[in-house]
Amino acid sequence: MIAPGKAWPKMTGREEFRFLADLVLRRSTGDDTIVALQDQHSGTTRFANSQVTQNVDSRRGTLTVTVAFDGRRGTASTTDFTAGALQNVVDRAERTAKLSPKDPEYLPPPEGRSFPHRATARPETVAAGPARRLEYANEAIGQCRIENLQTAGIVSSSLSSVGIAAGNGLFAFEERTDARFSLTVQAGDATGWSAAAHRSLDHLRIQERTLVAIGKAKRSGELRELPPGRYSVILEPAAVAGLLTWVLWTLDAKSHDKGTSPFAGKLGRAVFDKRLTLQNLPDHSDLFGVGFTSEGLPSEMSTWVEQGILKQLAYDRFTARNHGVKTIPTMEAPCLSATRPSVPRIQDLVKQADRAILVTNFWYVRTVNPADLTLTGMTRDGTFLVEDGQIVAAVKNFRFHESPLRAFNQLEAWTEPAEAVTSETGKLLVPAMLIRDFNFSSVTKF
Amino acid sequence: MSTSDWAELAELALNRIRAAGADYGDIRVQNSTIQTIEGEDRRIASIRDAEDKGFGIRVLYHGGWGFAASSILSLEEVPRVADLAVDIARGSASLAREKVILVEEPVHRDRVVTAHRIDPFAVSLEQKSALLCEVMDYVQRQSEVVRSRASLWARRDRKLFMSSEGSQLDFDLLAVQGEFSATAKHDGRFASRSFSTPHLRTGYELIEDAQLLAEAPRVAAQAVEKVKAPAVQPGRYDLVLDGEHLSLTMHESCGHPSELDRALGYEANYAGTSFLTPDKRGTFRYGSPLVNLVADNTEPETLAATGYDDDGVACQKWDIVREGVFVGYCTNRETAARIGETRSRGSNRADGWGTVPMVRIANIGLEPGGESLEDLISDVKRGIYIEGHGSYSIDQRRYNFQFGGDAFWLIEDGKRTHMLRDVIYHGITPDFWRSCDGVADRAHRRRFGFITCGKGQPGQSGWMTHAASPARFRRVDVIKG
Repeated sequence: MIAPGKAWPKMTGREEFRFLADLVLRRSTGDDTIVALQDQHSGTTRFANSQVTQNVDSRRGTLTVTVAFDGRRGTASTTDFTAGALQNVVDRAERTAKLSPKDPEYLPPPEGRSFPHRATARPETVAAGPARRLEYANEAIGQCRIENLQTAGIVSSSLSSVGIAAGNGLFAFEERTDARFSLTVQAGDATGWSAAAHRSLDHLRIQERTLVAIGKAKRSGELRELPPGRYSVILEPAAVAGLLTWVLWTLDAKSHDKGTSPFAGKLGRAVFDKRLTLQNLPDHSDLFGVGFTSEGLPSEMSTWVEQGILKQLAYDRFTARNHGVKTIPTMEAPCLSATRPSVPRIQDLVKQADRAILVTNFWYVRTVNPADLTLTGMTRDGTFLVEDGQIVAAVKNFRFHESPLRAFNQLEAWTEPAEAVTSETGKLLVPAMLIRDFNFSSVTKF
Repeated sequence: MSTSDWAELAELALNRIRAAGADYGDIRVQNSTIQTIEGEDRRIASIRDAEDKGFGIRVLYHGGWGFAASSILSLEEVPRVADLAVDIARGSASLAREKVILVEEPVHRDRVVTAHRIDPFAVSLEQKSALLCEVMDYVQRQSEVVRSRASLWARRDRKLFMSSEGSQLDFDLLAVQGEFSATAKHDGRFASRSFSTPHLRTGYELIEDAQLLAEAPRVAAQAVEKVKAPAVQPGRYDLVLDGEHLSLTMHESCGHPSELDRALGYEANYAGTSFLTPDKRGTFRYGSPLVNLVADNTEPETLAATGYDDDGVACQKWDIVREGVFVGYCTNRETAARIGETRSRGSNRADGWGTVPMVRIANIGLEPGGESLEDLISDVKRGIYIEGHGSYSIDQRRYNFQFGGDAFWLIEDGKRTHMLRDVIYHGITPDFWRSCDGVADRAHRRRFGFITCGKGQPGQSGWMTHAASPARFRRVDVIKG
């Protein structure tokens, strides 16, 4: 087995980053210089067909230097932190900047300031190595073997040192951990899925998640085929996140200003059901809040959609200045919530439904029409017919063709926000939702 | 550090792996240089010059895999990482019920260098930035065009692969690409039209030959025409798809299902599995008899034509679909053994030194037929001609797909008439390919590459080129996007 105590070279710490940044800043001749650090030690144990297929551990440190002369900007990066390499990366950034055209949107780096201090690194995740990941993978595989089911999934953990510094006094440094678990259980042709992500490896709840996926797989045995059409749907949090993520990605202010955004003309107007509110909650212990962003801006609590009304856009610093936005809102820790009365669990939504499709997750979600944010994607790993308050059958997977801007206005009932993690999104807190008239445009063969 | 120093470090790692009693081991030392220039709305928004150096060590110990990697390339770090890879492999082996076996591959000692006329890194940034600014200026001269984007990208990978079996492969590979787009607004709507060179393993001559400036007015005009075009009326249409468009259709509906690791369940938790299961090989009718889909990792300039893959297996050419019947997979040394094949197809690739190689789609292309594009269109009473890429999505077993495109023209009574907008077609993969009744000849063949093919956990980006001539598909279901 894996020997204990074989530590990797020490991660870049706060003072080491300060030393590296000072070195770069002293050597740079630019008007402005920004140094950014991303040093990550990560590992993933991956399993399929109930055995380990991939078991990896990797360390990558990257230092990125941006230099500007009179609004001409160049960026260079390196994974080599030796003195010669640092001189080289400064030289490359300067050379690039001098040859670049002047950027009319150039702004000097944000001023130095204090940043919120958040518990972004958990010691139990820092301490986790290949042996712990293997132990967790074995736990999930073992549970599935007891049920005579095949499984595939991952256990991963990482520690990152992240920093940003500039010649004007800007300095921020943070250690961040990330732990993830997901698995797909296969019962013959049927599948069930569950996933978790947290700063702490101890919060992955391997057994609970595995049992959820086993339950879905076992329930998906005999498939009924339903015709495409408009259905009431119960979207589990992962499915809601699959739609909401596209909203988050298309809120940029520049596209809004140019009229090439689904939100053009909608700032200050209703975009969701009036009971829905979207916020950034960086202090929430179940979200991946950070102290500062990659641009050197603080991450603070902010409200983007309040009781259905769009309140904020995603600003780059230039557009924010043009709009007179002093504090640029960020969105590292999204939470979509709804006013009461909510129900506690998804099962309670099921009980409320006369006839609905229960969707565990969406897959391969893509834009169909960027003007109204019509999306398409497939249901995946547990799609069921609900009748008279009960799950009565598993159904073949549907393709949907729907806009979240429409769906989130067809809200019938909802739960409290719950953790949502999918392979295509980050981590969010969102409610499960009962939504009427959701458009399924076609059906697949399984 | 020179490549001879790399070889010494690699030998150091391999000696430790051998001494630990491993079945197999390999090391990849790599230094990648990536230059990206991005323009937006007439300005250069960013110029980035990234250098990414490190090494990854893969070990097979008693049938279990271990992999460790580091960006610290030093005499102290290499043996430490080698030992860790062995330890991790021991852990995997302790849980292995079915041991990994690698099929045989001859030992190779070779050097692979991308042939090119103009080194993309030797072309001045001023020249490249000026080109992009000029293209964006041209595009935005067209009234009703409100946004423009343009970019150039180049990458150089210097890589050393050495294995415990004695293979030693030295790579110096280039890849280049350029593109731009125009977004037009009209009557509260907006629509984009784009132009893109393929990503190819060649030099800056790809950009020069593409004549981006000459294309700019047409692209801008078509963006305006597209946004003003009538929306498609849903229904069944015959489709004529151009080569660039087909590259994505082939990638999603043929490429991914032909990856053997997916068919064997390795990707069940993320990218998905495949409807092309091993029992279907040699008998399953995937398409019409006109459909010949060939994997060719030997065609010069294409992305997967790297001489050897990351198993150290020589690149090859083979059939995936022959006369409509599914006959072959993309494999690596591990998965080939699982279906009784005696040699890997050489499709095992990692996206850098820090990631472990996995089965990747090869350069799968549609073999040309005998017609011209005009022949294909002239035999259509009511249809749509589609160019370029748009929306795309497919289920996790690769049956139910849906594609848009970049530009659409209505075909009426054998003639391409006017543009349409919001065209989306969908179907079931084998039904769609069985409806193919015409493929244009080699003169119309175009290559298009992808460098962002997502797969694996942690996610990696795969590179491959898909070539096709335009092809015709009958009575496909079209909806309004």
